[in-house]
Amino acid sequence: MKKIIFSVTDGRGFDIGLVLLPLAFLFVLSGLPLVYNVVMSFQEVDMFSLGSFVRPFVGFKNYVDLFAQPETQPILLNTALFVSASIAGQFIIGFGLALFFWMNFPGASWLRGLFLVSWIMPGLVVGAIWNWILSGDFGVLNFFLRETGVIAGNIFWRSDPNYSLWAVIIANIWLGTSFNMILLSVGLSAIPKDLYEAAELDGATALQRFFTITLPMMRSTIGAIIALGLIFTLQQFDLFAGITSGGPNNSSNVTQYWAWDLSFRQYDFAKGATISVIMIVLVMLASVVYVRSTRHEVRG
Amino acid sequence: MSDQWRNRLMLAVALLLAAIYLFPLYWMYVTALKTGSAMFATPPKFLPSEPQWGIYSFVWESRNMGRYLWNSLVIALGAVSLIAVLGVGCAYVLARYRNAWVDVGLFLILMLQVLPASLMVTPIFVGFSQFGLLETPRFAVILAIAAKNMPFFVVLVRATFMSVPMELEEAALVDGNSRIGAFFNIALPLARNGILVSAILIFMQAFGEFVYSKSMIQAVELQPASVGLNTFMGPNTNEWNNIMAYATIYVTPVLAVFVLLQRRIVSGLTSGALK
Amino acid sequence: MRVSRRVMLGVIALASISLPAFSAQAEDVTITVWSLDRDIQPAPNLIKDFNKLNTGIKVEYRQIQFDDVVSEAMRAYSTGQAPDIIAVDNPEHALFSSRGAFLDLTDMIAKSSVVKPENYFPGPLASVTWDGKLYGIPKATNTIALYYNKDMFKAKGLDPEQPPQTWDELVEAARKLTDPAANVYGLAFSAKANEEGTFQFLPWAQMAGGGYDNINAEGAVKALDIWKTIIDEKLASPDSLTRGQWDSTGTFNSGNAAMAISGPWELDRMIQEAKFDWGVALLPVPETGAERSSAMGDFNWAIFASTEHPEEAFKVLEFFVSQDDRMFKDFGQLPARSDIAIPPTGEPLKDAALQVFLEQLKYAKPRGPHPEWPKISKAIQDAIQAALTGQMSSKEALDQAAEKIKAVLG
Repeated sequence: MKKIIFSVTDGRGFDIGLVLLPLAFLFVLSGLPLVYNVVMSFQEVDMFSLGSFVRPFVGFKNYVDLFAQPETQPILLNTALFVSASIAGQFIIGFGLALFFWMNFPGASWLRGLFLVSWIMPGLVVGAIWNWILSGDFGVLNFFLRETGVIAGNIFWRSDPNYSLWAVIIANIWLGTSFNMILLSVGLSAIPKDLYEAAELDGATALQRFFTITLPMMRSTIGAIIALGLIFTLQQFDLFAGITSGGPNNSSNVTQYWAWDLSFRQYDFAKGATISVIMIVLVMLASVVYVRSTRHEVRG
Repeated sequence: MSDQWRNRLMLAVALLLAAIYLFPLYWMYVTALKTGSAMFATPPKFLPSEPQWGIYSFVWESRNMGRYLWNSLVIALGAVSLIAVLGVGCAYVLARYRNAWVDVGLFLILMLQVLPASLMVTPIFVGFSQFGLLETPRFAVILAIAAKNMPFFVVLVRATFMSVPMELEEAALVDGNSRIGAFFNIALPLARNGILVSAILIFMQAFGEFVYSKSMIQAVELQPASVGLNTFMGPNTNEWNNIMAYATIYVTPVLAVFVLLQRRIVSGLTSGALK
Repeated sequence: MRVSRRVMLGVIALASISLPAFSAQAEDVTITVWSLDRDIQPAPNLIKDFNKLNTGIKVEYRQIQFDDVVSEAMRAYSTGQAPDIIAVDNPEHALFSSRGAFLDLTDMIAKSSVVKPENYFPGPLASVTWDGKLYGIPKATNTIALYYNKDMFKAKGLDPEQPPQTWDELVEAARKLTDPAANVYGLAFSAKANEEGTFQFLPWAQMAGGGYDNINAEGAVKALDIWKTIIDEKLASPDSLTRGQWDSTGTFNSGNAAMAISGPWELDRMIQEAKFDWGVALLPVPETGAERSSAMGDFNWAIFASTEHPEEAFKVLEFFVSQDDRMFKDFGQLPARSDIAIPPTGEPLKDAALQVFLEQLKYAKPRGPHPEWPKISKAIQDAIQAALTGQMSSKEALDQAAEKIKAVLG
């Protein structure tokens, strides 16, 4: 008994307890709902059987049906493009801004805080505002591009199938940049200054210092941010609802919006669940990549 | 180039960047003051021609915003506390070891956050209704938000713990500290800033949470501000100017508080603490 | 109190059928009502009045969001927490009634002295009917018509008292009115990929002999071709594909579109904000003398089959119906009844517009009713968007939609 108490206060038991408690919490509140979705994807579901697990089992029928639909493949490709372009844009702009504000100058810390505005604004409002900014006729983006002579005629960002997905990507990059920037700022400020001083004495250029000190020291932060960026991007819903509704003609539709549309617009819950299982598989792959990347982390 | 000129130049560039980035915020402020049709005018007007200043008091009173904001605050504080209590220790342990079990733990934590709230809400609702949790709807929402945001918190705080030198903690153990003592005296204070920033980010997310709240909280007296915002959306009518005014009232103070807090948290403190 | 006389009428209506209820006052029955109405709309106010009557029935109200009416209702119903009474959008009524989730009210209505089916417009009544039985009571109704800017008509040499009557005249007028230099489109409407797109397109198909069960009829193909002409020639903003009716009509109010297709819900904003003379005309028809048709919107009342107090719930509905003549005067909504006159508002533009909408309501057809309406509607939206973005011809797109709809109809 004493041994157990000792273990909990001072040994491995302490560590295991700290991890297992939250994992159990997550399992109940996130794991079970996930399982519910997976189970549903193999069943025939309607509004009357939402409350129970006992439903007719249909095997892989939902999956077969789904992949027979002509829009499935384009929507999966859209999702891949949306995720990769959004993450790349958010990370690069966010890192650039974090580095810029890291160089100390008066007012830097105040202005940096303002960038978090995109994190606070409600999804409904962000969607509506970007809807107007990207609007073809009265949109402010077209207005600036026209005034500066970049474009001659209006681009219908939302309604031209060639641009509609990019319209949402632009808005999503804006949305995610602040989160990348603020966390990268925290990571940057945790790097001991003396490392840079030593490198400078050794005659390293700014670029060399960035690649030999900054990037390796930031490794765990960057891994975490990209992994989370993936999840946020895959969960992005408000922008699709606010800007294009997945249209025109599915040209800006992605899995998460489609799953919602099937479940809550067409009340085809099983199909919606089937898409969510496909999303789970995608994130599983990405999670493996993230977890592997943590293997090479440097503990500070 | 003297330092002074460099500083001025940097500040000018920073202001320009901020102006571009904050444009959507500006557009929210301006749209709130426009009439319902002026916001659709071509070419766009950068200043409202007939600013409707009365809109703020109208929105505040017609929606009883004080009550909504209070509920948002209760829910956000509850969720952040729960996440912090459960998440900090978890992140700490996952940063302390490097083995296959940690891989499994990290993997599970990420995996569990994959689906958007709109797809999770039905099973959570069904489960909660079975356990009677919907009788205490705000608590139910706190639980759901905590589950949704905890992975985010754990992954970030783990990255912070990674930058706390292991040697410091080992030295404390040699000095006769228990594991608990070393955790509270060494690791926690050194990771303070990362934890605070993550907690603030979570707070803001929880403050604006919408999907769970609208489904689980049926009594209007207990609903948060995000649900109140959506009462301006009708079947055929969307009162955009009221929506923007409402959002202005709720975004501005939160943003101001954050600007003050992050200045203390991100800058200065960290580098000193880690020496 | 201003409404007391009407409320008294309601009491009499109630008393005539339910005297025993008054004796059972000691034990109040609680009835829960869900609808999307907010403070200035009918449901919460009517409930307040009802509760003042102390009939032994206590009504509790919950406001739900428009987007969530069905999903909230399903979730609650399948976990045994459904309310007694709900208001649902009319095309979604059949989803519930066909599965027995709503109570069959046919017998109660037959015995009722307040609810009389013959008083209702045929469209709304059809939407609560399934298999010859009545599963609800229409709450209110609306439809769409053509708004037009009389000042712009004059400026472009068109007769402001002769709005376009046929599709060709509409396109012709739109061509004349479109003025890119002045940022003016000829027409504003919505072809959005949601229910609004279907709502706006179906009347066109129906006027030309099509319908949801005959969506690739020759006339429907012609209708979609006309829409395509309007978009291709930029007589309407290309953003019509991703914009709802409310935002589209916003551009009409701001003077950036000369005509707009939308419903009576626009009237109050337009009166306040449109700085020009405008009028409303019936939806143009394919050719002179062709059959008229229009869309039909708004909600129906229904009682969930799971209610423990069907009698009391029906009494609450009877009270709502007894107050239908307040619908427009107090809340600005059109009752779904042909026996109630709409009193003049004293606002000449609005009164003239309402006359047109009331005329148009006679031709309003329900969407469906069919339990899988959302899937039918989705097929139609997909066709509209495929044709308007040029990815398919109108014929191909509607043929494909007809195929999908056939699979749903079985």
